[in-house]
Amino acid sequence: MKPFILRTLPFLLATSVALAGTIKSTNPANGLSNWQSDDTPFSLQLLQLMPDNVRAVYTNKHFPPALVEEMAGYCMFGSVIRNLADEPISYDVADWRAITADSVRHAPRTKTEWLQIWQSRGVDFGWSILPAAQTLEAGDWGQGFTTIKLPHGTRFDLDYSWRQHGKTFHAILEGLQCAPEQLPVTPNKP
Amino acid sequence: MAAVKPPRPAPDFSLPDTDGKPHKLSDYRGKVVLLNFWATWCPPCRHEMPSMQVLSQELKDKPFQVLACDQQEDGDTVFSFTGLLNPEPTFPILMDSKSSVSKEYGVPGLPTSFLIDKKGNVAYRAVGGRDFEHPAMRALIESLMAA
Repeated sequence: MKPFILRTLPFLLATSVALAGTIKSTNPANGLSNWQSDDTPFSLQLLQLMPDNVRAVYTNKHFPPALVEEMAGYCMFGSVIRNLADEPISYDVADWRAITADSVRHAPRTKTEWLQIWQSRGVDFGWSILPAAQTLEAGDWGQGFTTIKLPHGTRFDLDYSWRQHGKTFHAILEGLQCAPEQLPVTPNKP
Repeated sequence: MAAVKPPRPAPDFSLPDTDGKPHKLSDYRGKVVLLNFWATWCPPCRHEMPSMQVLSQELKDKPFQVLACDQQEDGDTVFSFTGLLNPEPTFPILMDSKSSVSKEYGVPGLPTSFLIDKKGNVAYRAVGGRDFEHPAMRALIESLMAA
């Protein structure tokens, strides 16, 4: 992948760039990883979500099987966002990009887009995906799935952004990987 | 919780509880209402609910009411969850089966809670789970009850 400065250069011209670190941890019980931004006022954590977890969630909500499979084919993460600042922070998932090793920038599929698809397939359910855009007041936080159309196991960096006191900030979560189709570690059986 | 500035009128609604009894928000005028939007599949919703029950019990003789609006689930699902809670909720759990009320309130995600003052205005909003036993939360509610 390109050096960080090259990847962030387009934003340096128009916006502020937060030089965020990335903290990775892996659950030894199942081998699944999660990534957490380090020292940014808009905190983002992404947790690998297995396709079978996705199937379970949406089958349980009575989604049509074909739609469940379509969603399970996406690279999905459980996401936790937090406003750690003492002022409002806004974000818009449509502005975020997953940058793969070939430097292609992939837009996530937002909750707004999923809701349109769900409604067109007769599904009346409005939850589970990370809100597409919102303003978080100090202390607010939220959860939801982040979805990107990438094959399971794909490695990428996430360029994410937020707005705070009239400025746009960008940061990179580095070294992310979509969950594999199967668990990396088989849980021990008693 | 963040203050809603200026406070805006809380959209009125009527929803059935888990026993089918209708609850109209405006019937609680004169009380401070903690209006919580939640679902059983939402981990922070599950986590914060016992603290709402503790708060509700501690303020049971005060002009205060908790209303918890479950989103798009059936009664069996809700019962199977609340039956496991200790303490079990005694406040009304309302069935927002089409999420029509949450849409009226512009709820971005679950859980989201609102404090509605005695005049029926939305005074505070919290996105994400909270500890409703926290002294700061209690003080906020006390201040609204005293206003």
